[in-house]
Amino acid sequence: MAAGVRPTSATREAARKGRWRTDLIAGVFLLPALVVFGLFSWWPIVRGLLISFQQTNLVEPARWVGLDNFRTLFADPLLGTAIGNTLLFVGLAALIGFPLPLLLAAIMSTVRKGGGAYRFLVYLPVIIPPVVSVLLWKWFYDPGSGLFNAVLGLVGLGPYPWLQSPNSAMLSLVLESTWAGMGGAVLIYLAAMVAIPSELYEAAESDGASIGRRIWHVMLPQLRPVIGLLLLMQLISTVQVFTEPYVFTGGGPQDSTVTVLLLIFRYAFQNGDYGQAAALSFLLAVALAGLSAGYLRATRSWSRT
Amino acid sequence: MRSTRRLGTLALLGGVLAAVALSGCDSLTPSSSKPGDGITLRVQGMPPATEKATLEQFNKLVADFEKANPGIKIQGSTNVWEPLTFSAKLAGGSIEDVISVPLTEPQGLIQRKQVAPITAELKSWDHYKEFNPQVLQPISDTAGDVYGVPEAPFALGLVYNRALFTQAGLDPDKPPTTWTEVQAYAKQIAAKTGKTGFLQESKDNQGGWQLTMLSYAHGGSMLRQQDGKYVADFNSAATKTALNLLKTMRWTDNSMGANQLNNQADAVKAFAAGQVGMFMGTPGTYRLAKVTYGMTNTGDYGITSMPQAGGNATLSGGKIYMVPASVSAEKRAAAVKWLTYAYAQPQYDPQVAAANAKALAADPKAAVGVPTLPLFDKAHQDQINEAIKPYINVELDHFKAYLTGTPTLTLRSEPPFQAQTVYAALDAVVQAVLTNRNADVDALLAKAESDVNAKLLADQK
Repeated sequence: MAAGVRPTSATREAARKGRWRTDLIAGVFLLPALVVFGLFSWWPIVRGLLISFQQTNLVEPARWVGLDNFRTLFADPLLGTAIGNTLLFVGLAALIGFPLPLLLAAIMSTVRKGGGAYRFLVYLPVIIPPVVSVLLWKWFYDPGSGLFNAVLGLVGLGPYPWLQSPNSAMLSLVLESTWAGMGGAVLIYLAAMVAIPSELYEAAESDGASIGRRIWHVMLPQLRPVIGLLLLMQLISTVQVFTEPYVFTGGGPQDSTVTVLLLIFRYAFQNGDYGQAAALSFLLAVALAGLSAGYLRATRSWSRT
Repeated sequence: MRSTRRLGTLALLGGVLAAVALSGCDSLTPSSSKPGDGITLRVQGMPPATEKATLEQFNKLVADFEKANPGIKIQGSTNVWEPLTFSAKLAGGSIEDVISVPLTEPQGLIQRKQVAPITAELKSWDHYKEFNPQVLQPISDTAGDVYGVPEAPFALGLVYNRALFTQAGLDPDKPPTTWTEVQAYAKQIAAKTGKTGFLQESKDNQGGWQLTMLSYAHGGSMLRQQDGKYVADFNSAATKTALNLLKTMRWTDNSMGANQLNNQADAVKAFAAGQVGMFMGTPGTYRLAKVTYGMTNTGDYGITSMPQAGGNATLSGGKIYMVPASVSAEKRAAAVKWLTYAYAQPQYDPQVAAANAKALAADPKAAVGVPTLPLFDKAHQDQINEAIKPYINVELDHFKAYLTGTPTLTLRSEPPFQAQTVYAALDAVVQAVLTNRNADVDALLAKAESDVNAKLLADQK
C-alpha cells in the first residue's frame, strides 16, 4: 500500500478478510499442538492442582479436604531436610557445574586442530542414558573396589567414603551430574563464543589488553545473555533433581540426599498419598515460577543497561 | 493464493489426523464387556517371552481355563508391580483386572482401599476352608476379609553362599541358627575370603523392612495399639540389640563390606556374583539369582531358617495376586475363578502340580521345585512335594535347613498400619548405623519414633 493513499472501504474489507483467513489458518495449524499440549501438559497441571486439595485413592471419587494436605506436609520433619538438601545440591551445582562448562568452552575455543573430537568427547556423556551413567558412577564411587579410590590410592590419597557418608554423598551426586550434563552447555557457550566479532578482540589487543582483560572485558560481556539463560535453565533443572538421589542413594545415608522431588515420589508412590505429593509439587512449581519471573526481571534490567 | 489454500487443506488434514489419533486413545482403555458376550480378563503374571518354558506353561493354563470356563477369556500381561505405573493406570482406568504384588505392598493397598476384598468369591471355591491361615493373614484386613491369593508363600530366612562357607573353613551343612553365630561366621568369611560376610539392606524402605525381621528375631515389634490407635513400638531393647549387633559387625568386626546403601535387588545381584556370604531373603531369591542375575553355580546357593535371638519368629513374604477395587463385581468373580484355578489349585492338587513341574523342567534355565510354605496344610504339601519330585532341578538338600527350621518359628506379618512410613524412617536409622562409626542407636531410634508417631497420628485422625 503506497503512503498517502487512503484505503478504500473495499481494500479495508479485503485486508480484514485476509487477516481473518491468516488467523484461521494459523489457528488450524496450531490446533493439533494445542490439543496435544492441552491434554498431556496443561490438563495434568490443573489436575495436579485439584488433587492437592483432595484425598484420593484413584478409585473412589476424590474427597475435598481443603488445606489438610498442606498441613500434613508442613508437619513432616523431612520436608525441611529435603528443601535444605535440594538447596545444597543447587548451590554445589552452581558452584561446580556452572563455571566448569564456561571454562572448558573457553579452552576449547582456542584449540585450532581437532576441535570436533573434543566437542564429541565433551558431549558424549549427554548421550548416555542418565540411569546408565549413574550406575557407571556407582562403580566409580565404590569404596572398596571403585575406580576413584583405586586411582587416588596410587598417589596415597583416601580411601574416601563418597556416597557412603552424609558429608560427601551430595557432593558425589553433583560431580556425576556435572559430568553428565555439561556437554550441552559447553556446545552452547562455544557457539556463542564463535559468534563474538573478532574485531572486538583485535581492538582490545591493539589497546594492549592482556588475555585476562580480554576475557573479562570482551568475552564475558558478550556472553552475558547466554550465561544468564544457561544459569536459569540450570537452576530450574537442578531444583528438580531426582534421578541421581533415586538411583545412587535412595535418599540416604541418613536422609542426606532426600531432595524435594524424591520426597514427592515417596509420598505418591511409596505411601500412596497422592494429595500430599500434589501439594508439594504445587509448592515447587510456585517456587520455580518465582525463580523464572525473577530471572526475566533481572534480564530485562540487564538489557536496559 | 493457491498455495495458501493448499496449506489450509494440509493444516485441516493435520487437525483431522490428530483428532483421529487422539480418538484412537479410546482403544487404550480396557474393553468393557457387554452382558452376553462373555468377559475378557486382563491378568498380570504372564512370564516374558525370554522365559520360554514358563510362558508355554502359562499359555496352556490359559487355554485349559478358558475351556473349563466358557465365557471368560484371559488376556495375559507381562507387566509386573511398579508403583508408578500402577498409580497411573489406576487413575486412567486401564489397570489390569488381576495384579501381581510383592508381599511388602498388600497392607498399604488394602488400607488405601485400592484393592477389593474377595472373601465372598473365594468362599465358593471348594477348598477355601483348607487355606493355611498363616498364609492368608498378611493379605487380610483387620476384619478378616481376604484380598488376594499367594502364588508362592514364603517366610524370610538367611540365604548363604556354600562355597564361601567352605573357603572360610565353615561347614555349609551347618548354617548359623543364632545371631551370635551369624556374627561369628560373617567375621570369619570376611577375614578368610575378603568378601562381604553379611549384607544388610538399607535403602528404598528395605532397610526398615530388614530391620523389622531382625527385630522380630530378637523379640521386638514395630507397632502397638494404644487407645485404639497405632503408635511406634520399635524404640525397644530388642531393636536396640539388633542395631548394636549390626554396628559391631560393621565397624568392629569389619564383616559387612564397604559398600552400603543396597536394596534387595543389589543384594541378590552381589550374591549371584559370589560377593556376599549371607543376607536375609526368601527361597524366592534362588529363582531371582538364577533366572534374573545369571547365577551359574547354583550349587553354592544355600538357605536356612531365620537365625534367632530370643524372638523365635520371622516375617512372611512372597508374591500375591490381587484384584483392583476399580474392577466390576462381575469381573471380580471371574478373576477369583482364575486365581483359584491358576494359583491355588496347583498348590492343592498333586496331579496339576506334577504336570506344571514337568512342563517347567523342559527348560534347564527354569527353577523347578523351590520350596514354599504350605498354602494348605502340611499333609497336602507333602503330597505335592512327592508328586513333583522327579522334575525338581533345584538342589533340595540346600533348602533342608530352611524347611526344617521355619515351621518351628512364629510367622509374623508386616506392621499392620503405614508399614512404608515405618520402613522409611528406619531406613535412615539403619543407614546411620552402617555409614557412621559413631552412630548413637538410642538417639536415632528416639528420633525415628517421634517422627513416625507424628505421621501415624496425622493419618489416624
